[in-house]
Amino acid sequence: MSQLDILMVVLRVAFGAFIPICFIAIGVWMERRGAGFIQDRLGPNRCNIFGFRAGGLVQNLADGVKLIFKEDMIAGHIQHKFYFVLAPVLVFFTALVSFAVIPFADTLILGGKSYIMQTVPLDIGILWFLACTGFAVYGIILAGWSSHNKYGILGGLRSAAQVIAYEIPMGLAIVSLLVVYGTVNLSEIARFQGQLLFGFIPMWGVILQPLGVVIFIVAAFAETNRTPFDFAEGESEIVAGFHIEYSSMKFGMFFLGEYVAMFVSSAIIVTLFFGGYQIPWLATETMVAYAQPIAIVLMLLLPVITYYFTNWIRKNNVSHYNRQNDPLVREANVYIKICWILAAAVELILLTLVVINPSADGVRIFVVLLQMASFLLKATIMCFVYVWVRWTLPRFRYDQLQKLGWQILLPMSLVNIFITSAVVVALS
Amino acid sequence: MLSQWLFYAFATVSVLGALGLILSRHPMNGALWFVVTLVSLAGLYSLLSASLLFALQLIVYAGAIMSLIIFIIMFLNIQPADIPDEKGKWAYLLGGCLAVIPIGLLLLKIVSSLPEGDVDIVGNGFGQVKSVGLVLFRDWLLPFEIVSILLLVALVGAVVLAGKKEMTQ
Repeated sequence: MSQLDILMVVLRVAFGAFIPICFIAIGVWMERRGAGFIQDRLGPNRCNIFGFRAGGLVQNLADGVKLIFKEDMIAGHIQHKFYFVLAPVLVFFTALVSFAVIPFADTLILGGKSYIMQTVPLDIGILWFLACTGFAVYGIILAGWSSHNKYGILGGLRSAAQVIAYEIPMGLAIVSLLVVYGTVNLSEIARFQGQLLFGFIPMWGVILQPLGVVIFIVAAFAETNRTPFDFAEGESEIVAGFHIEYSSMKFGMFFLGEYVAMFVSSAIIVTLFFGGYQIPWLATETMVAYAQPIAIVLMLLLPVITYYFTNWIRKNNVSHYNRQNDPLVREANVYIKICWILAAAVELILLTLVVINPSADGVRIFVVLLQMASFLLKATIMCFVYVWVRWTLPRFRYDQLQKLGWQILLPMSLVNIFITSAVVVALS
Repeated sequence: MLSQWLFYAFATVSVLGALGLILSRHPMNGALWFVVTLVSLAGLYSLLSASLLFALQLIVYAGAIMSLIIFIIMFLNIQPADIPDEKGKWAYLLGGCLAVIPIGLLLLKIVSSLPEGDVDIVGNGFGQVKSVGLVLFRDWLLPFEIVSILLLVALVGAVVLAGKKEMTQ
């Protein structure tokens, strides 16, 4: 292995480990500010470090510090302490490792060698994701059971029954997708979606499998225990369910695990149905061929976007009443300076990497960075859909949930498999 | 070299898991030891680079079946008083071990008489998605369908039995 190989391995593993963890902060922030936005209030925006509030992101830091320094106790009646401690760890790590197979850019070719841009280049792809979600159930069951508490057991039972029930329509939706794509490898699935249907529609899963996308997204919401399917928590009836006995960072692990699961399932939805890292109408080879024009367009667009973004900051980051020497304006000025410095740095990188002296490797890296940005943008939008649904729909009743799973989604996904197979056979 | 050490590790852990399944008193401990065995078996499959078998082992056995069993154990609400005493457990175990010694010796003899040869992976694509699919749906299509009908019959039977009980009540 050359030094470049080792560097690429380190970079990919770092991406796979840190991006989901970074998205915890973004997810929690988006959840709170999104809730505020949808309920017509502000959301957390008071926490600050030397007056810098970062739009409410500092609140996450404060919550993290609070969780870490709370008393970490295990109630005296709990007999199976090992399982009690193991459960949150299982929930968190199964969510984290299931991100490992998701491709975040097309294969990078550096100096004649190709690097698959997945954390672990596993060819079973989607099956690994299914295996990991299967293991997440253990964490919930063990948490509910070892808590030795009525509410805990009820929450664990509900959640386990729900996850097991919704694994079936999810698996069947994946089957019909696999019929279309003809592979289980997520890299190949993402590459397949770079093609064009009839020459002008991007061949995304959402267009090829309109029924499958509905089934899969509903099942994914149920798998991550998010509203409208969050009976496992059910504050009003079973007071937080399976994590009722947990405190401090052990509760924190459940909390973080929920957001990692949300991000990973957004990433899976994006990879399977919304083209993964693909930018519509710009396949990898097209981008490599037209790297210079694309870079120049980006360089022209970036100052415009930064201008409007900084104006938006200046307009919104002020006190709502008259204050002398408004500290919020001072804060906004710093943010605006940072924005312009970042924009200038990106311009400089684009200029040196692609425009002035384009080398084959530089162009490839540029394309991969663009695709990573596209992937992360899509995943963020999908995370916002999760937040959006959570603060728009009320919680279902439990029998409604099981009815939806077994009587509507299951037959629908079976019909979908038959229709898809018939169409694929007829076309081939 | 690394794969050899991994093999030893997985093999040891799978045997330890089986031992834990037999020796633990609480059913939940037993079930989770069995999960350990199943996961390490999946590790052995992955050492054979049989990626589909690895995934199916994790999804079907370690994921689906065992989580159903643990789900049921959770339903049972087992108290410490409910667990039987298991008097003379070690004597029975010892007796059992003595009883299977001849079989073990026979197996050892069979293994040691195997011809010394290549222990590499059989053929290309062993246990991969494509090769397993081709074998199942081309070479063994009829047996495969018959087995799936058998499973379907069992499923329908279970539903019918469960439904009947409810009606008579």
